[in-house]
Amino acid sequence: MSWPILAVILLVPLGGALVLLGLPASRPRMLRICLIAVTAATLGLSVVMLVYFLAVPPSSASRLTGSANGQSLSQVHSPVTFQFQEQISWLHTSQSLSRFHPAFNEGNNAFNQAGPPPVNFSFHLGVDGLAVWLIALAALLFLVGAVILSRKEERLKAFAVLMLLSEVGVIGVLTSLDLVLFYFFWEAALVPLYFLMIGWGDERRGRAALKFIIYTVAGSLFMLLAIIGVYFITGAQTGVYTFDVPTLIAAQSFVATTHNTTFSLFGHSFPALNPQDWLFLAFALAFAIKVPLVPFHSWLPEAYTSGKTPFLVFFAGIVSKLGAFGFIRYNLTLFPQASHLFQPLMMGLGVASILYGALAALAQRDTKRTVAYASISHLGFVVLGIFTLNIDGINGSIIQMVNHGIVIAALFICVGIFEARFATRSLRELGGLAKAMPVMAGVFLVVALAGLGMPLLNSFVGEFLILLGAFQVSPAWAVIASLGVILACWYMLRMYQGLTQGELRTPFGGDEPSVVAKAVGRIGRIDLGPVELVALAPLVALMVFIGVYPGPIIHYSRFSAAQYSQAVDRGTAASAAGHQVPAPTLEPGGRS
Amino acid sequence: MIAAGISIQLAAAPWLPLHFVPAGNLVGILPILIVGGGAVIVLLADLVVPRRGNLVLPVTAGIVLLGALGTAAGQWAVHAAHPIVFNGAYADDRFALFADFVILLTALAVVALSPGYLRRRGMEEGEYYTLLLASVTGMLVLTGALNLIVVFLGIELLSIPLYVLAGFARDEPLPQEAAMKYLLLGGFASGFLLYGMALIYGETGHTGLVAIHRVLTTTAVSQQFDPMLLAGIALLAVGLSFKVSAAPFQWWTPDVYQGSPAVVTTFMSVATKVAAFAVFLRLFSATLAPYRAEWEVPIAVVAIISMVFGNVVALAQTSVKRLLAYSGIAQAGYIMIGLAVGRPDGTQASLYYLAAYAFMNTGAFAVITILSRRGEDCDRYSQLSGLGRRQPFLAGLMSIFMLSLAGFPLTVGFFGKFFLFSAAIHDGQLALAIWGILTSAVSLFYYLRVILIMFSGATEPVSDEAPQVAGVSLDGAAIAAPDAAVAVGVSSGLVVLLAGAGTLVLGIFPALIYTLLQGITVVHG
Repeated sequence: MSWPILAVILLVPLGGALVLLGLPASRPRMLRICLIAVTAATLGLSVVMLVYFLAVPPSSASRLTGSANGQSLSQVHSPVTFQFQEQISWLHTSQSLSRFHPAFNEGNNAFNQAGPPPVNFSFHLGVDGLAVWLIALAALLFLVGAVILSRKEERLKAFAVLMLLSEVGVIGVLTSLDLVLFYFFWEAALVPLYFLMIGWGDERRGRAALKFIIYTVAGSLFMLLAIIGVYFITGAQTGVYTFDVPTLIAAQSFVATTHNTTFSLFGHSFPALNPQDWLFLAFALAFAIKVPLVPFHSWLPEAYTSGKTPFLVFFAGIVSKLGAFGFIRYNLTLFPQASHLFQPLMMGLGVASILYGALAALAQRDTKRTVAYASISHLGFVVLGIFTLNIDGINGSIIQMVNHGIVIAALFICVGIFEARFATRSLRELGGLAKAMPVMAGVFLVVALAGLGMPLLNSFVGEFLILLGAFQVSPAWAVIASLGVILACWYMLRMYQGLTQGELRTPFGGDEPSVVAKAVGRIGRIDLGPVELVALAPLVALMVFIGVYPGPIIHYSRFSAAQYSQAVDRGTAASAAGHQVPAPTLEPGGRS
Repeated sequence: MIAAGISIQLAAAPWLPLHFVPAGNLVGILPILIVGGGAVIVLLADLVVPRRGNLVLPVTAGIVLLGALGTAAGQWAVHAAHPIVFNGAYADDRFALFADFVILLTALAVVALSPGYLRRRGMEEGEYYTLLLASVTGMLVLTGALNLIVVFLGIELLSIPLYVLAGFARDEPLPQEAAMKYLLLGGFASGFLLYGMALIYGETGHTGLVAIHRVLTTTAVSQQFDPMLLAGIALLAVGLSFKVSAAPFQWWTPDVYQGSPAVVTTFMSVATKVAAFAVFLRLFSATLAPYRAEWEVPIAVVAIISMVFGNVVALAQTSVKRLLAYSGIAQAGYIMIGLAVGRPDGTQASLYYLAAYAFMNTGAFAVITILSRRGEDCDRYSQLSGLGRRQPFLAGLMSIFMLSLAGFPLTVGFFGKFFLFSAAIHDGQLALAIWGILTSAVSLFYYLRVILIMFSGATEPVSDEAPQVAGVSLDGAAIAAPDAAVAVGVSSGLVVLLAGAGTLVLGIFPALIYTLLQGITVVHG
């Protein structure tokens, strides 16, 4: 591709945010149209990127341009390939940094000679078969969020600007191929999200926002240490000091990860953790909080229930995927051996999330909280699939990430519509709404069925592949995880039935649809409005399309899944050999 | 080129008694001469110009500082091959010049903030600018000091005007307490420092840093356990830790920061810290490097205590100025990571963080200064409550400073912490990095709470506040209602704006400072 499409995709929402900043706040209609236009343009560009990506046969995309510090891993190839790469130097230092004066150097040479290695990071962008789908999903969900954002929303301008800034951050996380740049976007995206959380929502939003941000940042700070650790450990062992992701992935083949020492506990002897394992855990902590996996999930129900629907569409839809994305992109590739070591732990956490989320969802009477816990359960499947470490599981996870984004956004829109109409989210106060809003009930049925993994709808494809992958690791995992599917039927259908079937029941009383409609304040009908229909239509269409014809998305993410699975397999190869792989012949000076 | 031209001119001026000082020496300390001379000029001008509402003094002070800044930039550009002057007593190396830039820029910001603030608080005294410039002179002396005597000279010249400035609002009880506390504890710390210097002198026979270093590395002194020298080093460290307000030597900080007028606190919290850290870094990372094995662990422990104490106690604060004071203690702990690492990359990371700190902390205090009204400083959370609605621009800038202090990306604070942690990990001091990480997570809570209060108006964490009513205060002056928008003066607005812009731009392009730091050598020969 001759033009930097990824940079353009990042710059369009950023530019849009600046333009919106300049518009008068007193013109809400104009603001909303601009917001929709910018997000639509971003979606259009992502679709163009997707088409280009699909047009290039995966095999021919295997050119690696890992060239950091002027050193190229010429004989080594990253098992994961990236397309549309763009690289601009960000901070580049020569080998010699500040020195102490010779007068202070006598007899002290060792001190001064151990100068710092060069610092080097760059704006390096690129995508693979994992990121393209998530970028397209992100762009779609931001557009949907913009469409259902009401013109009458208070402080509309600030909301719109912050929304576009979040989009920049999210897409930045998905496109960055430099660890520092990745961390930069990862944290920077939190700032607009934080402001969106404290500015709009119910009265508990301040608490929810603080909890979310402290959880996430506490996790990410350990990842920051781990990023620096990867830099120095890889550098010390291979001589290549770089934050460049493709180069680091390639270099991991040569990082010693043998477990030399053991420690004993309760009469068993365990391998002591080596640095790679600690780094894995630090990355995993950050991602597990973001997903969230079960012991780290307690920020989620509050955050998901206090937010407004347009915010939740992209917050629940895409931000939680960033954690799963990080697991695949960074944990599997940078720490292949540790991934094998911690496979049972991570799969266990995945299964725990599936079951805990499902059971907690069952216990809720609040529709929004039900959806929030359902989200935890669904994301447990994604993590389970990732840590099967085989092609089917990872492939299923990639697809399930996209599916979950679509389904959870639609669920939040539906639940939000009920809440907006009847000012309650309680299942106890609502019922029989199919009589009053038949179209809504129909759409909600499709969405709920997609949420429980019905065949011919999208979630089935992903969950099936994930269970297939889990079965290959151990049938027990698959059996336990499939309990989650059964529970999903229970809570989803209970929510659907409770809301739409039976006697018409609303907080406003009345058993006639027209009476309810009048009470709600709408003449004649309270069913889906055109805007809501427009927002839900693409999501429902995608649910059906992916469910009926999953061929393209499976095919075009499978080669990436295979690459990631291959990257992890280096870990088993190294441990099977039982010793360190011979040091690489990294040739300095091979600039490209 | 510039320096050469100036030196010729100075040498050619027959009326200057220069025969005993080679002209190059005076060129080396030109920024000090300019600021010191400026202090005298302002003092004299104060006798002539009328007091109230006059901008002559601040403008003069500003011009003096700009002149010094220009001179320092010239020295940086010329980059003298042998930047040691006055027989090895003073260095105008790039290390010193970098610190000078930061100090002078901060002082300039403070001068720009002062007229409006002093007018609002009714403290328009001409001595203010004289004292400020005198203190800056002391700081500039300190950054390049290459002799223990000069270090002490700089510390005292820096501190004494600050004691007066701290109590500048002399009708109020809190500033008086602050000044007294600062004076007593400051004097105590100076005593520590002086005793430490004496012990080091007694053991090595030198006061010059280069000579001390030579003795420590070449003679047998370094080979054996030497309690006197170690005691000297320890006392030096204690005295300097007091000046940078690192825990457990920080007890004066919250009271002094809270009691002093907001502009003075701005100056004190940034410029003093930069100057004291400059000399701290030079003394320990360079001069006492042979004894690194001895001082490394204590310094690291002080860093950790500062980070933990500052961040944890800041959680419990209900006063904004005290919050920033404790945050300052924590920040001192972060900067000390670079000191404890000791290597060139540690020094570099500390300098980077000091520059970052100057931008974000000056900005934060500048907002407090702007919000301070007649009769009292803006010090309670309730005064920030709802600022996002009243003055979204000011609140937005304050948010940037808070996020930067918390170390979020897009702001300069992120790269500051990145380089510090990176240096610590490279040196194998993982404990420092992990404590830094843990305490950063804690710090989020109080930094973000400020943002939360500004934008959502939630004051529920703070409940023990007397309700403030609009009306008439004791001296008959009208107190504005707490929710009235504050008018922002041009110069103050410019300061906040530039600090905010700097925080963001340097946060996106870290190379702007980093490349400056790359050429730095700590003392040339």
